[in-house]
Amino acid sequence: MGALPSTPGASTPPPCGDAEPVIRVEHLKMGYGMRILLEDASFVVRRGEIMVILGGSGCGKSSLMKHIIGLYEPMAGDIFVEGQSIVHAVDAARAELQRKMGVMYQAGALFGSLTVLENVRFPLDQFTDMPEEAKDLTARMQLELVEMTQAADLMPGELSGGMLKRAGIARAMALGASILLLDEPSAGLDPITAANLDRTILSLRASLGFTFVVVTHELQSIFAIADRAIMLDPKSRSIIAEGLPRELRDESTDPRVRQFFNRTADAPRAQAAAGA
Amino acid sequence: MATASAATIELSGRLTADRVGDLWRAAMATLRADPARPVTVEASGVESADDTGIALLFALTRLERAQGGAPVTTEGLAENLQQLVDRFDPHDFLQKSAREAPLGLVALVGKATADELANGRSLVEFLGQASRALWRAVTRPQSIRWSEVFAIAQEAGANAVPITLLIGFLMGVIIAFQIGVLASQFGAVIFVVNGVGIAMLRELGVLMTSIIYAGRSGAAFAAEIGTKKVNEEINALVTFGLDPVDFLVVPRLLASVIVVPLLTVLANLIGIFGGALVMLTFNVNFAQFYNQLMGAIGLPDLLIGLVKAVVFGLVVAGISCQRGLATGAGASSVGLSATSAVVTSIVLIVVLDGLFAVLVNRLGF
Repeated sequence: MGALPSTPGASTPPPCGDAEPVIRVEHLKMGYGMRILLEDASFVVRRGEIMVILGGSGCGKSSLMKHIIGLYEPMAGDIFVEGQSIVHAVDAARAELQRKMGVMYQAGALFGSLTVLENVRFPLDQFTDMPEEAKDLTARMQLELVEMTQAADLMPGELSGGMLKRAGIARAMALGASILLLDEPSAGLDPITAANLDRTILSLRASLGFTFVVVTHELQSIFAIADRAIMLDPKSRSIIAEGLPRELRDESTDPRVRQFFNRTADAPRAQAAAGA
Repeated sequence: MATASAATIELSGRLTADRVGDLWRAAMATLRADPARPVTVEASGVESADDTGIALLFALTRLERAQGGAPVTTEGLAENLQQLVDRFDPHDFLQKSAREAPLGLVALVGKATADELANGRSLVEFLGQASRALWRAVTRPQSIRWSEVFAIAQEAGANAVPITLLIGFLMGVIIAFQIGVLASQFGAVIFVVNGVGIAMLRELGVLMTSIIYAGRSGAAFAAEIGTKKVNEEINALVTFGLDPVDFLVVPRLLASVIVVPLLTVLANLIGIFGGALVMLTFNVNFAQFYNQLMGAIGLPDLLIGLVKAVVFGLVVAGISCQRGLATGAGASSVGLSATSAVVTSIVLIVVLDGLFAVLVNRLGF
């Protein structure tokens, strides 16, 4: 988790509102070769906020997340993490910025040759000189936060999809990361496991003050956890909506946004042609 | 700073991963020096804490003496940090790890034996399945996916020609040179040709080709099928009503039966050519080499090598596919399968080669 400041009398840091931006995306243009996914996209993520990036399959949600982490170079624009450009940072400076962010990839991306506990310990083993017992305890506490203590000694191959994702979150929290980016945390999970994962995310934000950027298109999850959402559209290659999920669903005049939130299928081609 | 009645551990500043290591050692030394002595953790100067800092506070104030000892009191810790520390229950962390205790020597030997027996059993089962599938394929050639067979043969065979030629050539050169140096001392240089010819045709050509095939294509077969297993492609085949052995193993067996003998012939030819080149340095020209070679080798020598090539090809492909199909979960299992395929194939090749030597000798060839 992030280095949580001591605030006597306050149990949790205030979420979002006027909190300082921890991620600032400015005029981002991204894509692969000739294929442009997003142009001139700008938004901020505030400290303590759960911000959801949503949109249909293939609209560039995961790519946007990987640009924020600094894995991909944007075609234009800039991305600032806690005030510093991750696009222009190089080597050690970029690694330092990347360590402020913990990432849970779609399939958990746990190292297959290590146990769950060793996976969570991995960053501590690599970057600290803490005693063995300290690293062990820290990792076990992180697993406890995501209710995975019983699976500490299992190998990733022995875990279910939901357990893999929770273990991925535990590993992402290591080394003082204050921003957690989760790629499709609820995808492929049963409703109960998905709801438990949503509860874990809310609980981690409430108790430890993490900032979350969550890539998802699971409507129930969006309504359960999101403080704010941005919606990407592959056709216009832009952010077509930003705001509270319920407001977007109930008040947006954009038919694409309403269709997404009301989960309605495209009109059949013949019908669409007749309408035109 | 210690008082007469209670020791004090003073924590201040940022409790973050870069500082916690040293703080942990010092604080634990104080805490463990005298379990009967009360300790006060003075934490009013703590500005912030990350995951490691919370772990330190929890270990000091709640975990270390949870099972006995003088009390540990905390003073001045900010309420939000205290709530985080209180969120964890020491008893959850005092329980013994669920990890299995290390096995003793006898148990290790027993487990290894049981594993090998299970391994042998699955190998025999696979042998039966593969033989049945191969028989089905041979009796109904139209059922064979020949495009797949030729694609595998191209990758495992045609693309392996350069490395086979290189190793075969070097084998011929080395054998001719080593025997030549020795034979020249006895005026028996011309008989080196016999040695090179027989060694390459009967043993070295097929042995080196098969070992190269195991390392190159056997590993690829195991890794490819293992990855399919991990990705549940094998399950998908089964749910389509297809037998994975028919679908994945038979094409590889057939491709190997075609390819390994061809590669062996190439290795034999280039090895003998390498020997002939070396013999020039011993004043044996190509014509003398050819005449001596023709007198020394016969069709049985070539056929013995080719029969072994067919068998070794089947062994490498069969073992590699079996290891691939037996792959467990996760990426590391694929690596283990590939390693196991190569090691088992090479061991079996050498063992079978020894059996062939005895058999051929008994049959009088």
